[in-house]
Amino acid sequence: MAFDIDRYTATSDAVAWGDLDFDTFDTDPLPESTLRTLRYMCDIEYHTVCYLRDLLTTPSHKEADVGAFMTMWNREEFWHGEALAAVLAKHDITVDFDQLKATRLKLGWKDRLDPIKQSIMGGLVGNDFVAVHMAWGAANEWSANAAYLRMAELEGHPVLAELLKRIARQETRHVAFYASQARDRLKDSKKAQKLARFALSRFWGPVGSGVQEESEVTHVMNHLFAGPDGRKLVRDVDSHIAKLPGLEGLTIVEDSLEKRGIAA
Amino acid sequence: MREFARTVQGSHRDEIDAAAIASAGLAADAVHLVRVLRDLERGTLHRMRNLLVTATHKDARVTAFLTSWAFEKFWIADALDAVLEAVGADTAALEGPRRRSPRERAERRGPVRRAIAGNFAGTQLVAAHVTTGLIDEWISQAAYRRLGEAASVLSDLVTRLLALKDRHIAFLSEDAERRLAANNRAVKLTRKAIAQAAWPIGATEIPDADRTFFETFVFGGTEGRTAAARIAERVAALPGLTSAHGDTVAARLAS
Repeated sequence: MAFDIDRYTATSDAVAWGDLDFDTFDTDPLPESTLRTLRYMCDIEYHTVCYLRDLLTTPSHKEADVGAFMTMWNREEFWHGEALAAVLAKHDITVDFDQLKATRLKLGWKDRLDPIKQSIMGGLVGNDFVAVHMAWGAANEWSANAAYLRMAELEGHPVLAELLKRIARQETRHVAFYASQARDRLKDSKKAQKLARFALSRFWGPVGSGVQEESEVTHVMNHLFAGPDGRKLVRDVDSHIAKLPGLEGLTIVEDSLEKRGIAA
Repeated sequence: MREFARTVQGSHRDEIDAAAIASAGLAADAVHLVRVLRDLERGTLHRMRNLLVTATHKDARVTAFLTSWAFEKFWIADALDAVLEAVGADTAALEGPRRRSPRERAERRGPVRRAIAGNFAGTQLVAAHVTTGLIDEWISQAAYRRLGEAASVLSDLVTRLLALKDRHIAFLSEDAERRLAANNRAVKLTRKAIAQAAWPIGATEIPDADRTFFETFVFGGTEGRTAAARIAERVAALPGLTSAHGDTVAARLAS
């Protein structure tokens, strides 16, 4: 099914939380391990602009639909960061722009070379490279959506749950865009399928790995996806990814749990 | 910054009186200017790419600004589309041969060369980006004012858009002044960026004939030259920049 970009742009908005009673966090605060996971999610949402950069090095941003989506998506994710920062602030955890900058500066040379590598790949591979980005984006959005819903359920805090559901609803629309783009671009090109399969199976890692400390990635994976229920959710995400043309049988999210020794 | 992000403007379509615009009609020059401005606003993501492949992407305060700024510019382009639709004008992107001036070679660079140059320049390059962004906003305000003069039926819309640009200018001027005042390397990189610039930003993606039209129509007449001189004065007043830098900008506006 085609993604309706006009409808998406017309209804794209900052996630709202002004109507939610955040004062309940004063009487019913979140536990430390949850705050640690939220902090991770918050950082990742703010760092979306770094991922946008990689997408922009491909020629796809000149396509009107893709450009429109990227503009809205980048802003929605920024506001997810702001919303989660507001929850953290209620627990005396400050996320400010200087800290985010420090995290990005720490990335060093790998980060500096990334746009060069991405652009060269884009230039060599051409349009098929856009398909890889779209499949990658779909995998990220599916897992983010699962993570938010799982967090809402695990914590059982009514205010947090409502906020996370609102965020997840927006992520669902991001999934729809990336998945429909990936499907269309992959189905027409065997080369794109091979490339996407290669890139995802070799290089994909949970959103935020590579930017955050590995100990934090493991904490979040353990917190959200340990145990049989978590594993089932992860398998669901994998099954969505595996339905994309040429990606049959991939289990990249489950593999990333195995790699970190997260118990099923 | 957060106040700006909280109060961004989305679609303007509800505020645009398409019937009034249709019945008043637009002169050919006004339509032409709207199309150029629309393409420039739509080039925002391209500009973002050029900034993000450098150390500018690390500055979370600047990227937060760019996020809201790109959103507003998306809807400004949409508003200009609504104007073109109202008068039944062609809404396609302008096409034609580009200007290939050797002086603008740096502006035409792709992401690889920009990223490499950006790595050499380092973190102070942000100053050059916010300053050229600021100059570009001044130029675009002059262009929208010219549009308001050329088509009085658009004066309400022009007022709205000028107010949005005022907010962009508020952020960019504060940020540019702070960076330029604090660091010599920031000044040096900014001077270099001004020497290499093509105006408005994104002009190298616009066909040569349409750029010439823009330069003549907005900055060509007596009032246009006064507007360019005002911009030159503002450039010269920035920390570390002189009237020579202001003149470089003004000379290129009507070139």
